[in-house]
Amino acid sequence: MRHQNTTERTATGINRLAGMHRRVIGVVAGLATTMFLASCATNAPQDTWKPKGPNAQKIDNLQKPVFAIAGIIGVIVTVVVITAVIKFRDKGQPMPRQSHGNPALEITLTIIPALILTIVGVFTVRTVFDLAKTSDTEMIINVTGQQWWWEYDYPVQNEFGITQPIITSGQLVIPAGTKVLLRETSRDVIHSYWIPALNGKRDAVPGRVQLNRIEADKPGIYAGQCTEFCGLSHANMRMEAVALSKADFAKWVANQLKTYTPPAENTLAKEGEAVFMNQCTRCHQVNGMKRADGTPVIAAPDENLVSGAAPNLSHLMSRNTFAGATFDLLNTTCRKDVWGADSESFGAKYLSGVSESCLNQTDLRGWLRNAPGMKPMYSNPALLASTGGKYRGMPNLGLTESDIEKLVAYLLTLK
Amino acid sequence: MFSTGSKYFFGVSFLGAVSFGIYMFLIGESAIGATALFGLVAASGLLTALLLSTRDGAKDEDGVAATTAAPTGSIWPLIAAVGTTLVLVGTITTPVVTLFGIVVLLAALIEWTVLSWSERASSDVAYNTALRKRLLNPIEFPVLAAVGLGVVIFSFSRVTLAVNKSVGATAFILLGALVLAAGVLFSIRPNLKRGLVIGICVVGAVGIVAAGITGMGLGVREELVLAKEEGHYVHQQCGAEKSEFFDKRPLGGVSATASVDTHIDLIDGKLVAMVQGVTKGQNTITISRSNPTNIVFRNNSNGEYRLVASLGSKMVTAGVSEDVVQCTQLIPQGSEQLLTLKVPKPSVAGKPYTLTVPGLTGQSIEVIVP
Repeated sequence: MRHQNTTERTATGINRLAGMHRRVIGVVAGLATTMFLASCATNAPQDTWKPKGPNAQKIDNLQKPVFAIAGIIGVIVTVVVITAVIKFRDKGQPMPRQSHGNPALEITLTIIPALILTIVGVFTVRTVFDLAKTSDTEMIINVTGQQWWWEYDYPVQNEFGITQPIITSGQLVIPAGTKVLLRETSRDVIHSYWIPALNGKRDAVPGRVQLNRIEADKPGIYAGQCTEFCGLSHANMRMEAVALSKADFAKWVANQLKTYTPPAENTLAKEGEAVFMNQCTRCHQVNGMKRADGTPVIAAPDENLVSGAAPNLSHLMSRNTFAGATFDLLNTTCRKDVWGADSESFGAKYLSGVSESCLNQTDLRGWLRNAPGMKPMYSNPALLASTGGKYRGMPNLGLTESDIEKLVAYLLTLK
Repeated sequence: MFSTGSKYFFGVSFLGAVSFGIYMFLIGESAIGATALFGLVAASGLLTALLLSTRDGAKDEDGVAATTAAPTGSIWPLIAAVGTTLVLVGTITTPVVTLFGIVVLLAALIEWTVLSWSERASSDVAYNTALRKRLLNPIEFPVLAAVGLGVVIFSFSRVTLAVNKSVGATAFILLGALVLAAGVLFSIRPNLKRGLVIGICVVGAVGIVAAGITGMGLGVREELVLAKEEGHYVHQQCGAEKSEFFDKRPLGGVSATASVDTHIDLIDGKLVAMVQGVTKGQNTITISRSNPTNIVFRNNSNGEYRLVASLGSKMVTAGVSEDVVQCTQLIPQGSEQLLTLKVPKPSVAGKPYTLTVPGLTGQSIEVIVP
């Protein structure tokens, strides 16, 4: 009877073990399938494994072998641990003989990882120094992060036709095949600038200037994302680098340097300019805009915003995005047309800017109607005591639908 | 009903709940204070429940350690109560008090816990005491030594700030020599009476602390007061120098040295801007709007010069504006000085922003604020 019970218990244990094995295999298979399917994503603009410039290529050249080495070691360690756990689990066997130390084995297991780490370290350090090289820089752009958008200003560089400083936001426009040095800083908290296809990430720290070199092989748009948690809308702090051929870049520069042309009298856009002047210039600058008496309109973001700056909206419709690149200025069809263009036709499509037929009316109007409703920005006026009444982003301005209509018409003129 | 340990945490929980109520209804606007007090109530309530359910960790009667000695009187509950009070007081005064309270509370809890545990470790009181010492002395001695040294250093620093600079230096040398002499004496005469050694140490420490208290009473010396009033590191006064007490090389500050955007060099009477990341000298610099930007003026010309930043004008009252000007001091050849610019308006707002050096004509660097 006792023997029978023992046999039954053994059979039950084996069945349980088999059941556990099936569950483990199921979990592993599920994870593997998920990983495999995730790797099949076609719309992955921030893929770190697809370098599009020499700096990102250097990182890729390092990360692939390191990933392979780490992967192999990880698999070996995992297999050994799992084997040991299963094979030597407590089955009621007597305690094995205890021994302390195996010098030969321990020295071997110390030397092998040390050698591997040394080899990886040598190549890593070499890559780090390569990426830090700035002596052969061809173009300089100042990049300033703030909650939650990026500002780009181009100092005077006559060799690129930049005879006056250019300021823009959301989309960083660079000439392809040019070594561009980004001088990064921040106006409020620490942010981090990262366009995976062009280089690694670099923190933008208040009070410091951090250098980051990028270069794009071909014309195109390369997406990025702030990678240092920076507050409520960190996830919405995006950026795009737009690489143009040198000829197209010269056209872009020429357009950015065009002086402001006010809308024609007695048009909806002209009425929109008045609304803009009354409401938006409290924070947003449009270079060249003048009041009726001829005095320049100077925005005062320093009086209204924690960061002391808001996106300069000069030539807004030459960009494809707004609100910190969170939303597209182009509607879906036109956006696909630009993003899907080959490198030869990309420049012309990008430089055509945003026409009325291509404008993403829904998001732009929604933004003007209630910006914090679309992008969280701590803009409840009742909660601004700690910031002296200053906002961290665009508040709800309470615009009427008529005002919005006029503003959209005006903004469309900012080509 | 209540076990010994649970009584304390029940008391803390009750006190925390009362404080939470008072804070919420009478004082508090800050969510942090409310969260801290609620956290205290929740944590101590949880511990109360835990201790009650386990009867202070005793599994059963047989599991109680075989000690026959009565527990010794302990000061730690009192210190823990003081720590708790400090934590509560800090939530309505200043966070430093809360921080200090937390440190006191943690220390008291650790000491009390280990003491209680060690007293129940065996029936041998001497063994139990040795056990407690073995556990806590490696922590107590370094901490107490650090605190003692901190008090002595802080006290002595009050003395050096109060007295004349050279007197302070002399006192430092003398004190150092005395400490060295005492150390040498203790090492070559290891058989000195314990009382004598303790007496020397106590007299020395009390003397320094007393001198420190006196120094605090006297306040810092006049030149330091003046320097503080006039700004040690951001001296932006144009015109004749008012004070002789400024540090002529204020770039000793690590943060300033590490965060320079541009060096403005005056070399043989010519101004040139060396922008970080740019290899060639520039005659314009671009700084971002509303963002503090550190520039360093380096005088490599013969003579004393200052850098003057002319940054447009600002409205003082309606219809009245004044020029915004920032300057470094006059600095001699080979010196350098920091200037932090923060420009809220773009360059297009008015006349160009410039960096110039009075006395040099034709030398100007344009500051562009997009």
